Amino acid sequence: MNTRYIKNGILIAFILLSASCKKFLEEVPNDALPTESSIVDATTARAAITGAYDRVQSYYARHYPTLGTITTDNVIFNGTLSEYLQLDQNAIPTDNVITVAAYQAIYRTINSANSVIASLPAVGDPLLTTAERNKILGEAYFIRALAYFDLGRGWGGVQLQLVPTSDLGVLKGIKRSTLDQTYDQVLADLVQAEQLLPEDATVRNRAQKSAARALRARLHLYRRQWADAENYASQVISNTKYTLIKPYKSFFTAPFQTAESVLELAYSANDRNTYWNLWYPSSAGGQYTLKPSDALVAKLNNPAVGGTRNTLIAGTGTTVYGVLYNTTATGVDPSYLIRIAELYLIRAEARAQQNKLTEAAADLNAVRARADVPPTTATTQAGLLQAIEDENGIEFAFESHRWFDLVRTERAGAVLGVTNRNYWLFPIPYSDIQSDPDVVQNPGY
Amino acid sequence: MNHLYKKGVYLFLCVFWSAISFAQVNPTIKSTLNGTVLDQSTNQPLPGAVVRIKGTTHSVSADSEGKFSFRTGQSFPYILLVSYLGYEQKELTVNGSPVTIRLQETQNQLNDVVVTGYSTQERKYIAGSISSIKGSTVQNQPGGGFNQLLQGKTTGVQITTNNGVPGAGITFRVRGNNSINASVDPLYIIDGVFVNNSDPITAGLGQQAASNPLADLNPSDIEDIQILKDANATAIYGSLGANGVIIVTTKRGTRNTKANINLNTFQGWATAVEKFKVASGPEVALLTNESRINTARDNGQNPSTVVLPFPDPASQPTYDRISGLFRTARSQNYELSTQGGTDKSTYYISLGYLNQESIVKPSEYTRYSGRLNYDNYLTDKLKIGTSINFTRSERKLSGSDNNPTGVINSALFPRSYLPIYNADGTYARYGSFDNHLALIENLDNNAVGWRTIGNIFGEYNIIPGLKLRSSWSIDNTSEYDNSYSSTLISAGIATNGSASSSENKYQVLTNEQVLSFVKTLGADKKHNINALVGNTINTVLNQSTTATGTGFAANSLRSVSVAATRSGSAQRSETKLLSFFSKASYTYDGKYTIDGSIRADGSSKFGTNKRWGYFPSGGVAWRLSQEDFIKDLNFFNELKLRASLGLSGNQNGIGAYAAQGLWSSGANYLEQPGIEPTQLINPDLTWETTRQFNVGTDFSIFKNRLSITADYYNKYTYDLLLNVPVPYRSGFASYLQNYGAVRNKGFELGINSTNIESDAFQWTTNFNISFNKNKIEKLASDISLGASGRNISILRQGYSVNSFQLYKQLYVDPQTGNAVYDDLNGDGIITSADRQIVGNALPKYTGGLTNNFNYKGFDLSFFFYFQQGNKIMNMNDFFMVHGGTQANIGFLPRQLERWQNPGDVTDIPRLTTYSGNPTQNGGAANNYGGTVASLSSRYLEDGSFIRLKALTLGYALPKDVLSRIGVSKLRIYVQGTNLLTFTKYGGLDPEVSSQSNNQNTVGYDWATVPQPKTIQVGANVTF
Repeated sequence: MNTRYIKNGILIAFILLSASCKKFLEEVPNDALPTESSIVDATTARAAITGAYDRVQSYYARHYPTLGTITTDNVIFNGTLSEYLQLDQNAIPTDNVITVAAYQAIYRTINSANSVIASLPAVGDPLLTTAERNKILGEAYFIRALAYFDLGRGWGGVQLQLVPTSDLGVLKGIKRSTLDQTYDQVLADLVQAEQLLPEDATVRNRAQKSAARALRARLHLYRRQWADAENYASQVISNTKYTLIKPYKSFFTAPFQTAESVLELAYSANDRNTYWNLWYPSSAGGQYTLKPSDALVAKLNNPAVGGTRNTLIAGTGTTVYGVLYNTTATGVDPSYLIRIAELYLIRAEARAQQNKLTEAAADLNAVRARADVPPTTATTQAGLLQAIEDENGIEFAFESHRWFDLVRTERAGAVLGVTNRNYWLFPIPYSDIQSDPDVVQNPGY
Repeated sequence: MNHLYKKGVYLFLCVFWSAISFAQVNPTIKSTLNGTVLDQSTNQPLPGAVVRIKGTTHSVSADSEGKFSFRTGQSFPYILLVSYLGYEQKELTVNGSPVTIRLQETQNQLNDVVVTGYSTQERKYIAGSISSIKGSTVQNQPGGGFNQLLQGKTTGVQITTNNGVPGAGITFRVRGNNSINASVDPLYIIDGVFVNNSDPITAGLGQQAASNPLADLNPSDIEDIQILKDANATAIYGSLGANGVIIVTTKRGTRNTKANINLNTFQGWATAVEKFKVASGPEVALLTNESRINTARDNGQNPSTVVLPFPDPASQPTYDRISGLFRTARSQNYELSTQGGTDKSTYYISLGYLNQESIVKPSEYTRYSGRLNYDNYLTDKLKIGTSINFTRSERKLSGSDNNPTGVINSALFPRSYLPIYNADGTYARYGSFDNHLALIENLDNNAVGWRTIGNIFGEYNIIPGLKLRSSWSIDNTSEYDNSYSSTLISAGIATNGSASSSENKYQVLTNEQVLSFVKTLGADKKHNINALVGNTINTVLNQSTTATGTGFAANSLRSVSVAATRSGSAQRSETKLLSFFSKASYTYDGKYTIDGSIRADGSSKFGTNKRWGYFPSGGVAWRLSQEDFIKDLNFFNELKLRASLGLSGNQNGIGAYAAQGLWSSGANYLEQPGIEPTQLINPDLTWETTRQFNVGTDFSIFKNRLSITADYYNKYTYDLLLNVPVPYRSGFASYLQNYGAVRNKGFELGINSTNIESDAFQWTTNFNISFNKNKIEKLASDISLGASGRNISILRQGYSVNSFQLYKQLYVDPQTGNAVYDDLNGDGIITSADRQIVGNALPKYTGGLTNNFNYKGFDLSFFFYFQQGNKIMNMNDFFMVHGGTQANIGFLPRQLERWQNPGDVTDIPRLTTYSGNPTQNGGAANNYGGTVASLSSRYLEDGSFIRLKALTLGYALPKDVLSRIGVSKLRIYVQGTNLLTFTKYGGLDPEVSSQSNNQNTVGYDWATVPQPKTIQVGANVTF
């Protein structure tokens, strides 16, 4: 009898002990959700699309604008970090920090958007109205479109990930698409987005129908679909929500969110944009890694070229610096994604390409007039296209345009001296070449 | 049962009484003997030494002055046996009183008692590989942490002081790097407390580890240190032991000794061995002009059309920034301690104060420490005790390294023709750099740490040999960091002053029970058993709260609460570890030892499928010296062979929730809360395991005058906790899984020799050398990292960790002056595929040589440390030999050795900033930019060195002088550190590692404070 008691006692003790051991070793974080309960109701669905915007910020706050500017004749390297020197010299190794960080952040954005697109239909929360459901889904499609567009114009046709990465198995066998296939995907997402997104008269820091149309106008421009580009640009320009505001500097002066803006990402004291730090000299608290080139400074200071756009720079002598991002104390400068001025220049170029020269010149002059610059003197198609190219370089001097414009028009060799066309695309990150059997490096790297 | 108990008590009383009675028999006193027991070499008293008359049980202990007195029934002459722990037992015949007995310290370590995992064992029976170091080895040295001072003192450890800032981070490896992503730091146990060794300082200091958490322990409190190296020794610590275990025992009192009071002080002065040198103003101007002309040529322009930036280079002024950086740094140390015991209790109490300045302004380290070790024997069977250590550490911090607004960068990098002050007297700043004087005068970055390491334990002797010990410990680190950037320094200009205040708590709680059994059995005591079983429960809690604010009304206002904009953050993580272990050792006849241990660990960090790990080990030892055929050789005094094999685990260094699939919150936008996927689930994540084989020998010859320890080991770590890079298109950068393997194998040799041993003069030598070869045996794909994204360090299968990956410069073409690199894949162009492993930051071997001389009251010692075969990436050269590509950075004198004219033979290519055709080998673009972008082997240097780390001369005042002033011991000394260095390294100091907060980016010299040369004088007084 005794032994049986002991045996049972030991058994019970063992069971209790092992159960409590198991419980003792359960630990969960207080600042993260388990994947399985990530998008399950209205609150988490909202949080997930908010997170996707946060991811767009993560590559638009500094990496993407840098890739579009220091690579050109507008901005030169003036710091110590060699990754910026590499971009300035257009000699970009496969592990260049900026291109790698941008590439990685864009795919993270895509994974967030994919998660929302995949999980939202299954959320049965009655608090999630159909209108809000459509809005969230539309934003996810828009964000994915933007991300693939930014990949396509930087790296060429990329691998199309359209489902969230639940485990590494979903990655297998996806090869690089062609640039056309990538852009087709962008178009498909934009069609969805335009349909699902709302439109009102005030919101500029989240995607709405007009933002989808504006991005679509840009997509058609990149694909040389001039009529479509013109059509979609017109749809945005005709919306009274947007105007070319005067003076030029008001769109980058706090409190921002001007009528100029079709889409800008907002920052706040709790969510700072410190991109100004790369532009300002150390005497003003910055790193001064990015510096306006002498040529650009001369253009901006020329009343017939820069006009009031000379407010993009400050300082004197050898210490001239760019002030597009200027809220040094608070760090609330937006990331400028789409401004209405771009739609005018898209339409100008699309019209010029279709030989609608007068209308093209009118659009171009609208942008020039806003900067108090006299109308263009160009009258020929070639002359107008050149004038539009130059205008883009000045109007968007410190935004992510000029490099991508010169590449899409195949002018990077002539204008920037980057004659090796291989270097018109950024390299696929070194570590992906190492870890991904399905990827192929861009030629020349 | 009850009846039996009563009987037992009765029996016990009977025995006890009779023992007392026996002692009282034979009261006839035939002689009285007075004497003193002294240390033979130092003539210091040995309190507690036991004196016994041979053939009797009558013994007395010496008092605190080493004095004893005997009243005995024996008459002269008789034979005395005198023994003292750590000293050779002495047998001598006395024929009258008084007598002075000198004991010689045990030279033969084999007789020592060694603290091994959860037990103590005599060294001669141990099958594992354990190094023992006396506390005195690490005392009275400048440099803060005891672990740093073990450098070169013993085999099997490789220690690098990362920079010359007092109290700053160090690198400590036992037998090489076992891991890639998990921790490679050893486990530290202080008086049975598992202590935290993670840097609690949150302030950003570039990539350097800000502090050495073990500097919180006052080295003077240490009695001895054991380093457990092989699997047999460490496996009992299971999951915590794979990287070696450092067991520190602090001083405790001895029962029945009079209190002694010890005063200890030193004063030190440190200076830079060498200071930075930069090119003068005219030299910078000349080089800049030359670069401009060459670039124009490369661009196909006519050089004569170039507008020179400096038409008259010679007229450029030179402003010296470097001398403003350095100072003669003071250090001072005061300690007061007392030690003693009654018949029921023992105590050790100490207080300490240390203050040390860095030779580069304005860093400084201050430590206030206090310790109480107390034991009380409540009954004959029950002992309780406590060890408590309180420390307050204060650090003035200063960032440098990869931070352009760091103090050293701001003095070193700006071009030397640029004035330090503007015309209006304000601080001048150039490019990305701050003004070094502005920083030195206005940096306000303080880290204050409160550290409590304490435990309470009880020990109960159930029956002789069977003991239960229960211990409850805490290691509480509370770090309070405050930093303020005023508008006088660059970091505070834009925001009108910025402040941050953070509190970081790190708490380790450990409870352990150990039931141990030690018994010698058999009629002739031939069977020796040492066994234990136990468990531990361990939780680690990390919490931090940070508040930041920007915008202050005036520079004198520094509290976050009055900032215009404020924000805060908080973080918390907790891990738990549950362990059961058992160990048994059996020795037969003092000759053959076999032992084994097993430990089971469950960790909250791992996947639900594989939480538990099991770590067995076994070892054998054979004391050949006890065998007749060896005894007959009459050569060996001791000869032992030992071998061991076992597994140990590692779970440190990965996140608390690393196995879980997670969406992180805080991905906010428009003041709305956001979430995003950040981690993929891995339910199979489990222990990284190290299998280690060790074979070694200990022997001593020439009457124990020469003793040698040699070990060979082979460690294979598999199932590495590896952040395996995954394609970025997954939305993740890496996936933590058990993949990969690393091997470390090596050989260690330690020699202790007593060269001369006479009453007046002694000379001893200690030499040790350790070879380690590290190799990554299995890796998913290359992982390159380091130098702020420049990816100079690489992990690659088939190579060792800490390898450098660079473009190998073959030569500078004497005709063109352009650098020519090794075109590894032979495709005729230079692309990233042409980078190759050109060296390694790990030394092939390290070691130390210590010599001690004693002559009467004088002692002299010198200690050399050496390491050979490691490479250093000289980032200062990387930045400042830039060929003109860095418009805001000056030059180092090495740039003057550039190629200028056809026929010049040099390794520094022609100056140019040309960037066309960046993949052309031998083209101008790749001299400093292009594909290579200066990531060239020309900046990688040999970091081998031999250094005279310490030279000490001391004098102990004679006893007769001291007794008159009531002092029992007084030693004064003068010591110099880092007086001599022999190296080929071109930077300031070969002992450097500035990217030290990542174990895989070792061997960078990057605007780092060099090790200082120190002179100190000190005194130890005992009352």
